Amino acid sequence: MLATTIYEQGDHRWIMFGRDPDKAEGIIDTNQYLVISGEEAILLDPGGIELFAPMLSAVLKYVPADQIRYLFASHQDPDIISSLGLWDQALPNASLYSPWLWEGFIRHFGMERIRYCAIPDEGLNLTVGRIQLQFVPAHYLHSSGNFHVYDPKAKILMSGDVGAALEPGEPPLWVENMSQHSAHMKTFHQRWMPSNEAKDHWLRRVRQLDIDIMAPQHGRLFKQAHVDEFFNWFEQLSVGIALR
Amino acid sequence: MSTPIFVTAASIAAQLHQAQHHARGLALTAKNARALAVRAGSKTVGFRAITQFIDELASDIIRQSQYINQLSEQVSQHAVALWRGNMADGRFDWVMAENSEHRASLAHSQRQCRLRSDELSERLRRGLRLLEQELDESEKHIRTANLIATSSKVEAASAGEFRGQLEVIAENINATANQIRAHLQQARQLLSQRQI
Ligand SMILES: [Fe+2]
Ligand SMILES: [Fe+2]
Repeated sequence: MLATTIYEQGDHRWIMFGRDPDKAEGIIDTNQYLVISGEEAILLDPGGIELFAPMLSAVLKYVPADQIRYLFASHQDPDIISSLGLWDQALPNASLYSPWLWEGFIRHFGMERIRYCAIPDEGLNLTVGRIQLQFVPAHYLHSSGNFHVYDPKAKILMSGDVGAALEPGEPPLWVENMSQHSAHMKTFHQRWMPSNEAKDHWLRRVRQLDIDIMAPQHGRLFKQAHVDEFFNWFEQLSVGIALR
Repeated sequence: MSTPIFVTAASIAAQLHQAQHHARGLALTAKNARALAVRAGSKTVGFRAITQFIDELASDIIRQSQYINQLSEQVSQHAVALWRGNMADGRFDWVMAENSEHRASLAHSQRQCRLRSDELSERLRRGLRLLEQELDESEKHIRTANLIATSSKVEAASAGEFRGQLEVIAENINATANQIRAHLQQARQLLSQRQI
């Protein structure tokens, strides 16, 4: 499992995990994120059951298990959180923050010890160590109950499936050229994102945020210059139409 | 690959479900036989007595099958929980063998996980023992069913003009008893082939 520190300031760090060379074929590649501040850490979209062991091992290179106090699942998809039943054995004292809408569904992945903290539709702020993370509503992008994570100090927006790309081979970590990259994002967004209205609503809100890095759950990450380009591209893209 | 115990337990439950289904049919046959025997009067007193036994046997089988069914469901559930615990334990082993700086911090969770697995194994062992005892007990029903099938044939033979009808019923009882026997035997066989 490849691990890359994408932000570091004192004891405040963002680490991205992905591009697992041992990943079974046919499984979509995912990005997982660990945010550490002081003695506490949160794991964002911890991933599928197939990825659990390499993820746990990679994460323990940065923090001891008992410091991973929180898990976050942006929505209910298997590539996001089907590993929950195993994290439940590894981190019995952790809390999972996830949309209230999906509680009864996500519990099907197996959850006896971890506590479910339901995020209300309007979002929530969570203190992790010395920082505050914001769970930003992103409903219908693509899931009907969906959140992104914004870290105002690191200026990072973890954008879940928004900004995701399906790119063959082993692409580099960062977007280098938006017009080339958008080719790998187009079908994904048209097919998986169901609502132009939800898209516009989201754009209005995230354009107010100060963003240095936009970090999606699949594919390359966006640096500041490309974030605005992405917003403009996404704005003109009509979504929910791939079947027409 | 060996069959996981939760699959075996579910298969046993399925066999018992079938046995229960046939036992209900047996109870119905007993009712019909009694009605016929009442109409036939004195020539079928013996047969009428047998129908009482059939009825009791049918409800015994139904009651016991329900219990065994419930037991196998519990066994299956414990086995799934154990399997999940063992899967986590296996993954923890893999992580422990990797060179992660903080891997020692996992030790507590792994210990807890193993304790839970030990407890689940014990409950599973107890459940399987009970299941075995109950299935042994069901042997008794198989013997009774055989006995009843034979004596209904004998009684039918002496029922005069009702002989034909009663023989059909006796054959019916025999066939149903055979089916119940087959399912119970299949359940016992599944249990004896189990692997934990
Ligand atoms: Fe998704
Ligand atoms: Fe996804």
